[in-house]
Amino acid sequence: MHSLLPIKLFSQGGGILLVVLLILSGGITVSACANLIGRKPVWQEATSALLISINLFFILGFLWICWFHWQIFIKLPLELPENLSGWVNRQLEIMNSNSDYGMPLYNPADPPRYRIPLWIENEKYYFWFMCYAVMALLVHFRLQAQRFRAVLHLFLAVQVAGLFFLVDPFNNPLPQFFGEIAPLYKAGQSLMQQAGHFMRLYPKMIYYYNAEYMWFHPPLLFISYGSITIMFITSVFMLIKRDLETEKIGYGYAKLGFFMLTLGMLLGYPWALKAWGPNWWWDPKICSSLMMWAVFSTYLHTRLYANKKYMWYFTSILGIICFLAMIFTFLTSFYFPGEHTFQ
Amino acid sequence: MKLKSSYDFYLILITTLVLFAISLISLYGMFYFKFAQIHQMAPPVKLLYMNRMNEIVAPFIICLILLLGICVPKRLLATAWLNRITAILLTCVIVTGILYGVKASLFFILAASLVLQSIVLIMALAGSRNLHFHKKGYWVRLGSSLIHLGLIIFVLDLFLYKDRTVHLVLFWITTGTSILGMLFCFYADSVVNLIAGRQPAFDEDIT
Repeated sequence: MHSLLPIKLFSQGGGILLVVLLILSGGITVSACANLIGRKPVWQEATSALLISINLFFILGFLWICWFHWQIFIKLPLELPENLSGWVNRQLEIMNSNSDYGMPLYNPADPPRYRIPLWIENEKYYFWFMCYAVMALLVHFRLQAQRFRAVLHLFLAVQVAGLFFLVDPFNNPLPQFFGEIAPLYKAGQSLMQQAGHFMRLYPKMIYYYNAEYMWFHPPLLFISYGSITIMFITSVFMLIKRDLETEKIGYGYAKLGFFMLTLGMLLGYPWALKAWGPNWWWDPKICSSLMMWAVFSTYLHTRLYANKKYMWYFTSILGIICFLAMIFTFLTSFYFPGEHTFQ
Repeated sequence: MKLKSSYDFYLILITTLVLFAISLISLYGMFYFKFAQIHQMAPPVKLLYMNRMNEIVAPFIICLILLLGICVPKRLLATAWLNRITAILLTCVIVTGILYGVKASLFFILAASLVLQSIVLIMALAGSRNLHFHKKGYWVRLGSSLIHLGLIIFVLDLFLYKDRTVHLVLFWITTGTSILGMLFCFYADSVVNLIAGRQPAFDEDIT
């Protein structure tokens, strides 16, 4: 793979970006701790500059990922020797005749190419945390409360640290994807071996990597996750102090989160029908997503009455539960089997 | 008016409880799926699991739709009439359930809610002052009506999932109404500015 793609360059460039992000996050952590403990706000302007820089570097890294995916699109076509295309197309026609959603036939003049979305494998964490960084920046300028800002920054720092130490998308990029396609690009294979690899890779390319829903379903959910994190922080502060401005910000992000979550979940539905057929309902991930959606709906309903006695606190607790449900839903993919599993 | 407000409040509390119950059932489904190793079973066993889960959740879905069925005429009727309609709906659901089974009962409440919600939507579209909404503003009312209509159609869609053509058409209708509903309901300010070019007519503060 290293001879076909600039993987080393991507890893080195991305590595530098992540180190810079980690240093900036270290700075913001120090400032956050000082503001959390201290009585008066300190280094507010410097913190704003740091936060803006973190966002800029996040965006730069995202563009770097875009460039790498473009390289994959250009340099890794799913190509076959010409004398195999007839045989492969006959196999595809047989497969299509038994399926509601057929795959396009192989065209030797224009071989299929990977249009890999920008949020698979470890890249999904990058996108998710980048969304949070943008939201944290916007909230930072809306609410001046020193401790609220500090917690907002600490959450961001934890996410950057996690990205650097646990789920680095630049070091050894897309290991699962490259592991899958590597056998096709090995030299000295027989025609039947090549055909076999193609028939294994092509359906996943069509129904997963190149699926149009992949450009909507996951990113909408990650934007929603970012919003829920903001809602969580505001909910914790609402428990401590009855501040209307904090509640207003939390509700604003709750609305955005619910909108994105509902839309993302809905757009996963026709994709699941296409890729898995009808027997995926009550899959663990679907169950946990339903649970999260139900908790979120409850939060939005109770919020209508947040001015009533005790309902303010009940709404805040629901906001916190909603965040916990989100974490649980995400972790479901690691622990529970099913169609969405990362196991 | 005080009674009306508390009626709304208790409806919301009951809805919260039903949603909580659905959450618990979802949790149970997850752990059952894992420990019974459903993913490694033959398709008929998987189907059996799905049917069992559908049976467990069905009463709560009926409750949710029933609440929606009460919630919808609440926007149209005075409290006295609302109580009568609620009693009639509840009786019809129970009688249909006993005579024709849970599915027929669910279908009845879905059809009734669909008709009522369509009336509310038309009235909201016409800008009727006779509708009782917790929130004010034309676009918020329209949005709320669309979201609730979307939910009813979604459950109806799940009910009719075996008919593939109808299923997908209903699904896209659900998606469209829900998106429009959320846009109008959550971002009425922006919608007002975008479409009518006038100042927003409501305030979302809870104070």
